Amino acid sequence: MTPEPANTPHVTPENADGIPVTFPKGLLGFERLTAFTLFEPKDGYPLKFLQSNENAEVSFICIDPVTVKRDYQVPLTPEEAEALALEAPEDALILTLVVVPEDPRHMTTNLAGPLIINIRTRVGRQIILSSETYPLRCPILLQD
Amino acid sequence: MLVITRKPDQSIVIGGEVEVIVLGITKDGVRLGIKAPRTVQVHRREVFEAIAAENRAATASKVPVQDVAALLRAAQVRKPHIR
Repeated sequence: MTPEPANTPHVTPENADGIPVTFPKGLLGFERLTAFTLFEPKDGYPLKFLQSNENAEVSFICIDPVTVKRDYQVPLTPEEAEALALEAPEDALILTLVVVPEDPRHMTTNLAGPLIINIRTRVGRQIILSSETYPLRCPILLQD
Repeated sequence: MLVITRKPDQSIVIGGEVEVIVLGITKDGVRLGIKAPRTVQVHRREVFEAIAAENRAATASKVPVQDVAALLRAAQVRKPHIR
């Protein structure tokens, strides 16, 4: 197993309980759901699990995008950085959502719509990047 | 909805700080230039729709997260896909 990158903040020591994360604007397509719990499942690295508190049907497998693209960075506008109240880069937890199709080997992650979570305030936001630069369906596993 | 006719090189101003300029018109489309402060995000609508569609697809994943993680670890995913 590859070591966890040093810049990935740990969510909580009590991983089983998860931590509450608020997305004041929701996620695209799910604008009305704002309260989530982020779990760091046992044996789950590099994945995390984001569950809506308001709709049990809505949950997302998330990945540390650095696993897929080592130099992945999210350019935040001043407005976004302010909305997230980010004071230091290490406060920002960056996750991208994983789509697992019927054949899980073809799973992809969306690098154009990362989630940025201020790990200190536990407020998050989905950032919209240009899909011309950041692929919407970046393969996670190398194809044979 | 407000409807305005503009010719090439003409523009409209929104909220005093966003300017949309008609750069050219061809048979394939209208070319627009947008002047806006850095704090204003400008995206094509399709980007929002595509990300919403990927979000919906992500919620449809029914494979347990541990199984997906095990698959990832087994595959030794380290090589970046994009330059």
